[in-house]
Amino acid sequence: MNDVFQSLDPRINRLGVTVEGHLEAKSSLDQFETYEVFFQMKEGKPYEHAGIVHAPNEDMAFLFGKEQFSRRYTCTGMWIVKTHQVITSPITDHEQSAYDLLDHRLAETELNELSHFEVFHLKKRGRQQVHMGRVQAKGYHDAFKQASEHFGTEPALQVWVIRSQDLLFSDEADKDIWFTLPEKKYRDAIAYKSSDKINAYKERTAKQ
Amino acid sequence: MYGGGNTFEPIKATGLEMEDPAKLAEFEARIERGEKIEPQDWMPNLYRKQLIRMIEQHAHSEIIGALPEGTWITRAPGFRRKLAQMAKVQDEVGHAQLLYSAAETLGKSREDMITDLINGKSKYSNIFNYPAFTWADSTVISWLVDAGAIVNQIANAKGSYGPYCRALDRICAEESFHLKYGHDAVVHLATGTPIQRKMLQEALNRWWTPLMHFFGPPDKMSVHTEILVKWKVKMATNDECRQQFLDMYVPKIWELGLSLPDPKLHKNAETGEWEYTEPDWEEFKRVINGDGPCNAERLAVRRTAEERGAWVRKALLSPKATYVTPLA
Amino acid sequence: MKELAIKELLYKMADDLLILGHRNSEWTGIGPILEEDIAFSSMAQDKVGQSWALYKMLQVLGEQEPDTVAFTRNAPQFHSCKFVELPIGEYDFSLVRHFLFDTADLLRFDLLSRSSYTPLAQLATKIKGELKYHTMHANTWIKQLGSVEDEEAFQRMQYALDVALPFALGIFEEGPYEQSLADEKIFAGEVHLKSLWLEKIQETLSKTRLVLGDVSLISPELGGRYGQHTEFLQPLLDEMTEVFKVDPTAEW
Repeated sequence: MNDVFQSLDPRINRLGVTVEGHLEAKSSLDQFETYEVFFQMKEGKPYEHAGIVHAPNEDMAFLFGKEQFSRRYTCTGMWIVKTHQVITSPITDHEQSAYDLLDHRLAETELNELSHFEVFHLKKRGRQQVHMGRVQAKGYHDAFKQASEHFGTEPALQVWVIRSQDLLFSDEADKDIWFTLPEKKYRDAIAYKSSDKINAYKERTAKQ
Repeated sequence: MYGGGNTFEPIKATGLEMEDPAKLAEFEARIERGEKIEPQDWMPNLYRKQLIRMIEQHAHSEIIGALPEGTWITRAPGFRRKLAQMAKVQDEVGHAQLLYSAAETLGKSREDMITDLINGKSKYSNIFNYPAFTWADSTVISWLVDAGAIVNQIANAKGSYGPYCRALDRICAEESFHLKYGHDAVVHLATGTPIQRKMLQEALNRWWTPLMHFFGPPDKMSVHTEILVKWKVKMATNDECRQQFLDMYVPKIWELGLSLPDPKLHKNAETGEWEYTEPDWEEFKRVINGDGPCNAERLAVRRTAEERGAWVRKALLSPKATYVTPLA
Repeated sequence: MKELAIKELLYKMADDLLILGHRNSEWTGIGPILEEDIAFSSMAQDKVGQSWALYKMLQVLGEQEPDTVAFTRNAPQFHSCKFVELPIGEYDFSLVRHFLFDTADLLRFDLLSRSSYTPLAQLATKIKGELKYHTMHANTWIKQLGSVEDEEAFQRMQYALDVALPFALGIFEEGPYEQSLADEKIFAGEVHLKSLWLEKIQETLSKTRLVLGDVSLISPELGGRYGQHTEFLQPLLDEMTEVFKVDPTAEW
């Protein structure tokens, strides 16, 4: 019948894992939609793309992003946005700017009024998107145009544009949630120094 | 933690003639120049398929890899070990998250990957199908399985697919903590009381065969993967990774006065190559195919975790949610 | 008297944080979604780290070293409340406990940040941000799962809240030195903390469909502060110390 596993792991024994079973294929969105996470390592440094989290909404995405992407080193801020709210340019090769490849396919997304947009560049293949700055524009197409004027001389293998109001910005007053990071030495490689013990052991055994 | 050992099943390098020759040439030239491929680039179907398989197996290896050491999470001795063990197992879950995300950029959803894992359709590193009987087993995993994984992952981080390389850079940085932590814990046992030392030696004996299996069958037995080498998907051969691992870690094991259960193991002074008894590759195949000591438990635990969390996910899912492929 | 009072306060706080951090770490690798698994583990680590800091303070006051104190005592010597030793249950219970305990913890450390006992005041100031994230996490989860239309989820959360409440009230079991701590301006006391806590959790729960039972009609689960525990603490300690006790004098 449906026997319960005897595991070496006491947690698993408490969980009551059954031997028999088949997982029903997961339905789409069982893991929610995705949010793109950007973070800033130090004051004054640009925000960089860190990766994605799966989350049911942006508040949860913030909670998740913080521990997945900033549980080490230092962090001074985080931004979160739904993946589909990031508008991307085509991607190019090193000798060409992504701004040269823009077409008019974005025309239909024009908004009625001026909004702020955050602009990001991929400066080299294999790297992360980096925040370049903010432009004011009347739609995505216009935002790319403005971005090109402001940042067009910088390397841009791909450009991302995000409407500022679509981003969740971490609160200035909440920066202290990252304050104790540098003290969590136990998850830092340099906290482990065993050479003294090894040398002592070698000396001890050499004498024998 | 992934050794790349059981990634590549026989592939039919067919279908390439169906690809646009101009695009294929451009794609290959980009890789040749040492540039990364990004998700929005054109890529051949075979490249996409093989990468999904590899990254997915790697991701599964991380989430399943959290279980053997998780066995000791509530029993780690003393504050330093307790905190580090928690952080170490947590990192494995984090790595799974990073790798599933990288695989998603190629078009396979996390839902499908998890389903395929639990229902036995996709593989993960064999080594996690072995039990961690004592605390010493856990320290051996933290040190040597992570060491082996780093050898493979540092090679793969020089591969061609941008999102995978970015995930690997991050993973290797975190695993440098695992490696140091594991070594530190091993050194404490090796230089400690006779009971501690005995516990460690026994664990090492148990893990040696799985560690030799970790990098996969010898090259002469392995599937021909020339096209994957050319496309910088497969970055180092199984034997290269194994040799590198032996070269870096056997001396560190021996300097602690510990032995390894292979009388033939030695470095050939002339060739500079390590020689060893071939581990039992029939056992390797049996375990891959589901008949290892812990295969059933590992998958049942994952299934139970998914089932027990289902109500949480169902309750929070917004009817307005829409999935789009993540960007990078 | 003053030193005894400080020690009693430090012990109960340290024991609470160690035991709950230990419990919550059980979720690592088996949580409801990968991202939450990671977040919950970090908070468990923070708790164990905070308890370590408190045991170090006790060491300065002449107690044994933290590993010895944490890994060799038996249940009757623990001052933790019964709430923290209960098994993790399903995620509903673990979340509700996280919310009820961490709200109290944030308020407690906030009071202590103005304590006349400097080491505690310094620690409280240092970890303010950590605790802020913990309650941000707890409040977000409670607000969301407490407001969903999904009936199963709502019922689970309400049930967990009902089960947890008498134990949560046990957090505020008064110790033998309440007056002394207050007089010395070290800590304002459990009665005061409890009233702040009730206000705070009501505020969060009022944004949900969840209903808090009438606390004046509930008898709190007391005794933990005096070493009386449920049947769950000793097995937890046996498990936690299994390796350490192989040889408590060895270095691990």
